[in-house]
This record gives sequence, C-alpha cells and structure tokens, in this order.
Amino acid sequence: MSEFVGYIISGLVTGAVFAVMASGLTLSYAATGVFNFAHGAIGFLSALLFFELTVGLGVPAWPAGVVAVLVFAPLLGYVLHRAMFRGLAQAGETAQIVGTIGLTIALPALGLWIVDLIAEPFGLPRADATSLPRGLGPYPAVNVTLGGVRLDSDQIITFVFALLAAAGLWAFMRHTPYGLRMRASVDRRRLATLRGIDADASSALAWTLSSTLAGLAGVLAVPTLGLDSTAFTVMLFVSATAAVFGRLRSIPVTFAAGLGLGVVQNLVAGYADFAEDVTGLRTAVPVILLFAGLVVLNRSRDRVAGSAAEDAPPPDYLADLPLWRRRLPWAVSLVALLVWTFTRPADDFYVGVVAQGLVLALIFCSFVVVTGIGGMVNLAQASFASMAALTCGWAFSSGLPFPVAILLGVLGATAVGVLVALPALRLGGRILTLATLALALLADQVLFQIDAFSNGTIGWPLPALGLGFADTTDPRVRVVLLLALIGLVGLLVRNLERSASGRAILAVRSAPAAATTSGVSAPRTKILLFALASGIAGLGGVLFAISKGSVTATDLPAFAGFVWLAVVVLQGVRRIGGAVLGGLIAAIFPELLATWHVSAHVGAILFGTGGMILARHPDGVLAQMAEGRYRRRRRRLERTKAAAIQAEAAPAVRAAAASGPDHPGEPAVPESDALFRLENVVAGYGDVTVLRGVDLSVRPGEVVALLGANGAGKSTTCAVAAGDLPVTAGRVLLDGADVTAWPAHRRAREGVLLAPEGRGVFPSLTVEENLRTWLTDPGPVYERLPQLARRRGIAAGALSGGEQQLLTLAPALVRPPRVLIADEPSLGLAPLVVAEIFEVFAELRERGVALLLVEEKATAALELADRVAFMRLGRVTWSGPRAEVDDTRLTAAYLGVS
Amino acid sequence: MGRQAVRRRPGRLVGLVAAAALAVAGSAGCAAEQKAAGTGGSGGTAGVTDTTIKVGGVLTKTSASGYSTKDAEIGAKARFQRANDAGGVHGRKIEFVGAEDDGQDAAKGDAAAKKLVQKDGVFALVPVHGPNFGGAVFLEQQGVPWFGWATGPQWCGTKTGFGYNGCLAPKPGAGSQTWWGNQMAELLGGSEGKTVYVQTTDSSGSKYGGKTISQSFEAAGFKIVGINSGLPAAAPPPDWLPYVNKIMTSDGGKAPDVVVSIIAGTKFNVGLYSALKKAGYEGVLSDATSYDAAILKDPATAQALEGVIAAPMFEPFESTAPEIAQLKADVEKVAPGTVPTQHLAIGYWSADIFLKVLEQTGKDLTRERFLAAANGSFSYENAGFGRIQYPKDHSEPNGCGALVKLEGGAFKVAKSMKCFENVPLK
Repeated sequence: MSEFVGYIISGLVTGAVFAVMASGLTLSYAATGVFNFAHGAIGFLSALLFFELTVGLGVPAWPAGVVAVLVFAPLLGYVLHRAMFRGLAQAGETAQIVGTIGLTIALPALGLWIVDLIAEPFGLPRADATSLPRGLGPYPAVNVTLGGVRLDSDQIITFVFALLAAAGLWAFMRHTPYGLRMRASVDRRRLATLRGIDADASSALAWTLSSTLAGLAGVLAVPTLGLDSTAFTVMLFVSATAAVFGRLRSIPVTFAAGLGLGVVQNLVAGYADFAEDVTGLRTAVPVILLFAGLVVLNRSRDRVAGSAAEDAPPPDYLADLPLWRRRLPWAVSLVALLVWTFTRPADDFYVGVVAQGLVLALIFCSFVVVTGIGGMVNLAQASFASMAALTCGWAFSSGLPFPVAILLGVLGATAVGVLVALPALRLGGRILTLATLALALLADQVLFQIDAFSNGTIGWPLPALGLGFADTTDPRVRVVLLLALIGLVGLLVRNLERSASGRAILAVRSAPAAATTSGVSAPRTKILLFALASGIAGLGGVLFAISKGSVTATDLPAFAGFVWLAVVVLQGVRRIGGAVLGGLIAAIFPELLATWHVSAHVGAILFGTGGMILARHPDGVLAQMAEGRYRRRRRRLERTKAAAIQAEAAPAVRAAAASGPDHPGEPAVPESDALFRLENVVAGYGDVTVLRGVDLSVRPGEVVALLGANGAGKSTTCAVAAGDLPVTAGRVLLDGADVTAWPAHRRAREGVLLAPEGRGVFPSLTVEENLRTWLTDPGPVYERLPQLARRRGIAAGALSGGEQQLLTLAPALVRPPRVLIADEPSLGLAPLVVAEIFEVFAELRERGVALLLVEEKATAALELADRVAFMRLGRVTWSGPRAEVDDTRLTAAYLGVS
Repeated sequence: MGRQAVRRRPGRLVGLVAAAALAVAGSAGCAAEQKAAGTGGSGGTAGVTDTTIKVGGVLTKTSASGYSTKDAEIGAKARFQRANDAGGVHGRKIEFVGAEDDGQDAAKGDAAAKKLVQKDGVFALVPVHGPNFGGAVFLEQQGVPWFGWATGPQWCGTKTGFGYNGCLAPKPGAGSQTWWGNQMAELLGGSEGKTVYVQTTDSSGSKYGGKTISQSFEAAGFKIVGINSGLPAAAPPPDWLPYVNKIMTSDGGKAPDVVVSIIAGTKFNVGLYSALKKAGYEGVLSDATSYDAAILKDPATAQALEGVIAAPMFEPFESTAPEIAQLKADVEKVAPGTVPTQHLAIGYWSADIFLKVLEQTGKDLTRERFLAAANGSFSYENAGFGRIQYPKDHSEPNGCGALVKLEGGAFKVAKSMKCFENVPLK
C-alpha cells in the first residue's frame, strides 16, 4: 500500500474525533443559535472525570466511560442550559459570544480546582496535563494491521464510536418526535411554542445531546491529547473549521468535513516540507482553513453587507439624572486615585499594579469602540496590541527615534486593523468573531514566530518614555499619563458617538440596508471603526511594552484577548467607564487572590462565571447598577399606571355596552357561559401600552369576529390570548381557570391554538412533518384535504399561500382545539381560497370549537360571525350579536366616529 | 448635505486620532533610560539584615499545558535549610519566602518579580525557573541577582541572571554544548558511521533547540540525517503516522541509529516513541525531559519510554556521588518522602551556587558587592552540576551533562556528569 493511501486511511480514522466534536457544535448552534465556544471545555471536563474514575478510583474503563459520557456530560449540558444558555438564547450576540467564552475559561478551571480540593482527602491523582492517560480501549493500546495500515485499538474505538454517534444522531433527528420538535423550534421558535412545543425543553434537549457528543469526543481524544485544557480548546478550533464547512447547519457535511480535516493534517505533515522555513505555517493549517471557510462559505445571507450583531442599544437608565450627578462618581474616584497615587513612594508595588491596570484599560477602550459602539465582537485585540508593541520594539532597535517608533507601532496596529476589517465587510456576528479569532491565532502561530520581527523568544528591549520633567519608570508618572490618554480616548469616543460618523455607525449597525440606501457607506464605517479600535489597542500595547521595559511575542497571547473581552463586557462595553473598571479589575484582582493565597483557578472561575451573569444582564455590571435604580424608580410608577388604565377602562366599557339597546348595563356574555375570556387586560411592548383594558369572551361553538382598524390592537390581543405576550394587568381565563401565568406552549397543549398572522407553517419542514407537530397520525388530514396529500414530501415553504394557510388550519380539523384564534386568516389569499378557509371555520364551529376570528376586512368575517367585537385604540368599544351590526356601527368602528 | 456631512466627518476624526498620536509622541520627546524607579533609601542592602537575607523565587507552578517546575521550591528550601542549620552564611540565615507562580505567562512573571522586589523586599530571586520568565528586564535594571535554569535568551548576556549551568540559549558565535553528543558517542562505543534524526516542534524555541543539539551530535562525529520541525507546537498530533514515516526512511530508506526528541512534554515523547515502536523502530531514543520518576508510575508510559536515554544536566539521583547522597538527605529533612525530580535538582543547585557566591562576597553584603564577587571570575566545581564560571557562563552553557537509561522500568546511570568543550554556535 502506498504511503499516500496510508495517510488518507489513517487520517480518516483520526479525523473521527473532530467529526464527533464538530457535530455537537453544529447541533447546538443549529438548535439554539448559540455558538458554544465552551464545547471543548465540556469535553475536557468529561475527560477529567473519566481520568479520575479510572486512575483515581480504579473503575474499569467502560463503566467509567458510560458515567462520563452518558451521565455526566448530558447532566452538565442540562445544568448549563438552565443556568446560562437559556438566558443567552434571548440575549444579543455579543453576550452569547462572551458568555460561552467565559465558560471556556471557567469550566476547566472549576474542574481542576475541584480536583485540587478533593485530591488530598480522597487520595485522587491530580490532573497531569503532561502525560497521556488511558482511553476506553486496552491499555497500553494494542496494534492491529488493517489493509496494510497499522492502527491501534484507541484509533479503531474512536472511529467506531464516531460512526455510531453519527448514525444515532441522524436517526434521532429524522425519526423521533423529539427530533421533529427540535427542528420545528429551530425553524420558527415562536410558532413552535404556539403549536404546544416547549421550545425551552427542545433547547434543553439540544444542549444535553451536544454536551454528550462533546463528552464522547473528550473521552475519545484524551489518550492522544492528554488532560490539557488548552489542547482541548485547540481541538475545538479545528472542529469549528469542520462545523464552518457544514455551514453550521448540516450535521452530515460537518461530519464529513471533520474526517477530511484528519486527512488534510496528515497530508500537510507528510508532504508540506516546503513550508519548513516558515515557522508555524503547518501548525496553522486548520486555522487557515477556518478563515477560508468563513470567508468563502459563510457570507451571511439575511444581513446585507454583513452587518453587526443584532443587539439594540439599551436605554440610558440615567437619562433622567442631572449631568453633575452622572459624572460625580467618576470625578470622585479619579480624584481619590490621584491623591492616593501621589502619597505613595516612587517604587511602590501597588501603584505599579494600578498603572498596569490602566494600561489594560487603555487597550480595553478599543473594545468600547469596536464592540460597544460598532456592535462587532473582535477577538484579535490582543494581537493588535502585540503587533504595535513588537513593531515599536523592532523600529526602535533598528535605530529609529523613539517617537517615530511609537508612531510606527500604532500605525502598524491600525494597518492590521484595517486588514481585519476587510473580512468584516462580508461577515457578520459570530462568523466575524470566528474570523477575527482565526486571524489572531494566525498572528500568534505564524507572524509573531518570524524571528526578524519578534527577535525570537527574547523580544525587544524598550526604553522608558521621557516627558522632560519625569519619565515612565516612575509608576506614578505612568498613572497620570495613562489617565490623560484614557481621557483623550474618552473624548474621542464621545465625539465619535455624537458626530455624523457616529450616526452613520449606528445606522450601519441597526439597519445596514437602509443605511446603504441613505448613502451611508457601510464598508467605510466599518473600516473606520476597526482602524480606530486597533489604533487604540496598539497605543495600549506600546505602553504595555514601555512600562514592562521589553516586549516578546508571548507577552500578549491571543488567548489573553478572551479573558479581556469577558472582563470588559462584564463591566459594560458601551462606556469608557466599563473599560477602565475592567482594566483595573483585571490587574488588581489576581494580586488580591495571590495575597489571600486563593488558588489562581478561583480567579479564572470568577472571570468566567461573569458569562452567566451576562446571560441575564447583557449590558454589564455598570449598566446593571443603573438599571436596578431605574427599575425601582419605574416599578411603582408602572403599577399605578396600569391600575389607572384599568380603572379608566371599566366605566368606559360599561358605558359602551350600555349604549347597546338590548343589553343595558350588562356584560356582553354571562361569565359562566364563556369558555375563553380576557378580563380587563392591559398589555404592551416595553414602555408602550397597547391594550388598555380589553374584555373579550368566546363560548364553545361560537364565532366571535374581532374587527377594527389597523393599529387598534387586534394582533396584540391574539398574542396575549395565546400566551405569546405577558400581560401587565388583568386576567386570561380558560374554562374558568386562570391561565394568565401559563406559557404559550402550555396553553396550546390545553387546547388554545393560535393561527398567527401570515402563514403558520414551518417552511423548512415537509408538509408531513408540519402536520406531525400537532398530530401523531396525519392520515385523516390527507383524506379530508387531498391536495396536501399530494405534497406531503415537499417543504412547506415551497407551497402556495393558500396551501400554506390550509396546512396551518388542517391539523385543527383532525384534532380540534378547544379555542382557535385565527389572526388575519384571509390575508393575501385569493377569494376562492378564502372561501375554502372559511368553510373550515364553519366546520370547526359545528364541532364545538370556540373561534376568535380577527379580521381587518370585515365582510367575510361578518358572514360567519355569531358575535362581533369592535376594537379601537386598545379597547373593545362595542360588542354584541351579529344581528345588531349595521353600516353605521361598522363606520363608527373603523373611522372612530361615535 | 447630510451625505456630505457623513463623508466629511471621518476625515476630522482621523485628524483627531493623528493629533492624539502626535501629542503622545510629541510629549514623549525622547527615550529615557529604563532605570531603577526611586532608590527609596534601601540601596543595595534591601532584604539584608545583620542576621538574615531574604530570598524568594519565581516558578511556573501551574500552566495551561500542565508543565510545572514547582519542585524547584523544595530543592531550594532543602539547600537553604542545610545552610541555616550550619549557622547561615557569615552569620546571616536565609529567610526563604517561597516562590511565586508565573503561570508560564511572561507578564505574570514580570509582576511576580516586581512583587518580590518591591513589596516583599527580597535581596535576590532564587530559584527562577520558568520557560517564559518575563521579569528579566526589570531585574537587570534594578540590579537584583536571580538564579535558576537559564533556558531562555532573556538570561543570556545579563549581569544579574545566573543560570546554574550557564546560559542555555547562546547567541550565534557564542559557545554551544557538545556534551550530549559526546556522552552518547562514549555510551554507544563511538559515533563512527552512526546517524541521528532530530525531531522538534513547529515553534522558534524548539527549532533553536534542534539547531544546538544537532550541532552537539555533529561535533561528536555523528551524521545528522534529518531535522524535522513539523510537529504542531500546541498539542500532540492526533496521528503520528506521517512523522514516523519520515523518521523510518530518513537514513536512505532505513531508520536512523539515534532519534533525539527536542520536545518539552512527556506526552509528546510518549506519543512519538509509542508510534515509532509500533512502526518497528529498534534504535536509540534520547531526550532531555524523560528523566522523571513520576512517569514510571503509569505502566503504558513506562512501556513507551522503555530503553530511552534521557539527558539530565545534573548528576542523576541514582549516582553514588556523596553530593547526591547529601541532596537526598537535605530533601528528606524538609519534605520527607519526596521523590526527587529534575526541577527539584535545579532548585537545589541554583540555591547552592547562590550560597557559594554569598560566601565569597564576604560579611559586608550589598547587591553591588554580591554582583562584583559573582562576576569577577567566579569559578565553582561540584559533582552535582559539573562546574560553573561567571561571567563566561552568562553567555554560554557550562557544557556538562549526564545520561540516564530507563531499563526494566527503572532509571540507571548510563554516563555520570562530565564536562566537554563548547563549540561556537553556527
């Protein structure tokens, strides 16, 4: 057998572990929209447990493997879902990225810390990253020759398990109701909950499964990687490459790409000797592939010109405070810091620590520009700082004057920033983050390994910065200089936010397409942001090197950027204040831990757990404090406001009802009769109150038509009825029971079905799968509606509008709900189709369903309705039997004439 | 109008940035010498009283990769304890405050050095032992002596950094060791017609190691048939096949007589050796890091490393030399039951050399006088580490080393500590 074929076969076998890891990554991303950077860390923890079980407690390998992979890993996934991922799915992209990066730092530290704590009393071995522990198979591994290729037992076990996992995953997703629910939740999460699918439970399942896959990959990889959390993170990046080639959607493609990566690595190792002179190039092959894959395959489709993260800027909670009150805490802290600094001696250790913190703060300011203002998450910030420092050191050592060297350093970083911005023009969100990560790793592994640039491992010496009267060897001088520079950056940021450029940035961030049509150049804006941010990071990097007196390529590793980002975002990335606080914390906190003799793992755990806080409060600690005060101020206000609206609504409704001649002063329907009832409901979105005391009720076998002009609050009423929108005040009753607190999926399961505005279908599921989300056997539907039977294998998104509406309502025919709420069912349909739809409604009424029909176009609805309610400005202004509706009333309802 | 405004403003912004940058550069004016900040009155006698000398170390106790040199603390402590039990040096006892952890992070090492000097007020740093130690520039500025294992170029050419066996990262032109090749040649009964393959990882540090060590074998008369630096530096490759194929065919289609691995990390070596043995390699395996009693505990690791010839830069613990018996006794006193390791020995011998310099400095102790004594043709011989000469060994290794063979699951001394002439590094 030729060497080449040997490399390919052996590569396929070893690529299996990437395939397993990458499949889990793709699964959790596709199912929940959160790209889990901590996927490798979960694998590490499982491997750690496996190691402690086998080596520490002497449990045989197979039972230990079952405990680590099938018990511990799923449990960890579930716990993480409850504690963090659930909140993250609703948070912005920045919070998602930072949250899972925080976990990457915290999880391994937590595991190692626990092992450190219990190692002594239980006589367990400490995790030793330098040796290779045993895997599932025989130990030492047994060698087998298969078709001319020598494989060991661990390799074969890995390959077999990878195939089993892939087959199991495929069967689960395609052929079980759980898989169907998960896919439905991915497709249209909101609709899925309206169909009674607990989307939350689906994501819990997705995290559990993905975590199991990570655990499996971890246990399979540990005999080749060792118990080394960094190695697991590296493996995650390699796997991310496979996931990216599967476009983060397709598990089979991801799996194949994972196998392919094993082959590519073997071929590079076997034949790429020409790359020998460029140190790091061969190591960096997966990273290069990752970057290429991101740029070529993952051009974001739905966001034109690769916009930024989708998080809207939060409200300014301090807006109602006077200016002096807003600035007071900062001014006081600044004065206190300066006074303290100048009462200390020149070689004081703690002033040095504070100065170091301020250097970091200056670097962190660049996060404020690119992430806080620009909404793009950049993981290459440490590389920018490193680039500037190395360029400066190189220039100074080549004999250039120091100021020129500094300027060159900053310009060098800026230039690299512009280069990084180029992929940013095409990519958005997580993809951009991954791309910056790839570039940062590339810089670490290749660029900074060039001896001529970084001067090998020794680096460049740098002189102190002389200011004429003092120089930066005195940490007090550094503190003042850095405070001045941060102030300058602060002014710059403020100017940027308030200038036309700031508005342009905001425009590009929130609506790229609109910004482009308004003549705002998105590429220019992004390049500006990246250039500015990398310039600031570069300046910080140069000062870092100056205060240290030297710079080496390993001073500011790419992974430092992870921790930095977590720290800054935790303090609040939108304000310079957050950056300053973050910098000081990053420098002072580890010193404090060391002084108190607390394990360094604890620091990592705390920094990392910040991610969990972030899942709940995406705008950081500073905003959190302001928000807390704001909420307290608002809460009472809101409560009284809702009560006032209700109080105002009650007499108004009574008056409206009283105006009907046949029902003087009576509620429209006696309470006992109504199956479904909204009682004086107040609801809205954020600060806007839409429903201002709505009373509405439906009896079984009755059609109530809810009519009203655009903006009257009809769709909001539907959302409240289905549980899609929480109420501020009032009650929702089903058969006399208070269901106000029930989530949408629970109401759906109890028989309250909403056919939402637009089409209520899952476009990427087939017709058959769509039906199965509500029915166990779709057979009767096909008998009743043969046109759907002919299309059962087709994706619902490919059906015509009428067919989609039929598909939306069809399941209700077979398994009638107790209450059906149809929001604009005739919207955009041909008259013939509308007639067919209304036939369905009539049939449902015959079968005792309580129907609430919401229509803007009154005619068709009026033909069917038993009772009619008119809405205007968030209130039901009139309700009564169909017979009493005449043209005058209709006109009054729509035109607001009473 | 609006469009124009949007277009015009970035220009202004860029101007502002440039102005800010210029302001910094302008205010900087000139480069100032990095010097000791504030002499603070302590002068060169910081950490010294009439009865004590305060000393602390910086080690890589923890690291992301798991590499740890923490045993050096026990070694130094054991040696200091013996000195104290003997009444100290010139009436002063060593007050050892322990070692800080730099987490294999240059910036943390710098902070640790600053903390020891500025906050704890130590006289000198002993032992300093971390592959990425970042406090070199600071210590050199402050004139604080530091003793340890000089594996990185930050040690070399300084006046204050004392490697216990010299500078192991000499610049081109400076002396480079030949002991490994020569000891191996003596062990194998001559180097005539024998071939050597050197495997390193894909990083500049490891490549540099490959260069010096292949030169060592060349100087001893071996023929180098390959230096491969293809191994990924961050983690072992999932598949060793391509690397092993290269080695197995490097000597004109045959396997070489000796494979030298310049990879830090037992797991790399275990992976490489297991794969080589799987492919039928029967020659000599040699590396610098496998001499570690802890790895014998694991049967598979011991099996993979069986027959390997490790190259420690100190007298092996299995040696019958009285200095080694003394070392073991000292360690047993401060930490009973400790199995001696490479890092422990490094800490021990670093402390030993520091004490020797203290002794030669005399009763009147300042950092200046200490450095003058150490750098004024200091020479010290000891069977434990060979010999050391400063200032010569500030820029080249001391040229001494031993060989240990793992045989039947136990280490045996193959060649005792011996010093050889250095040759200039190409």
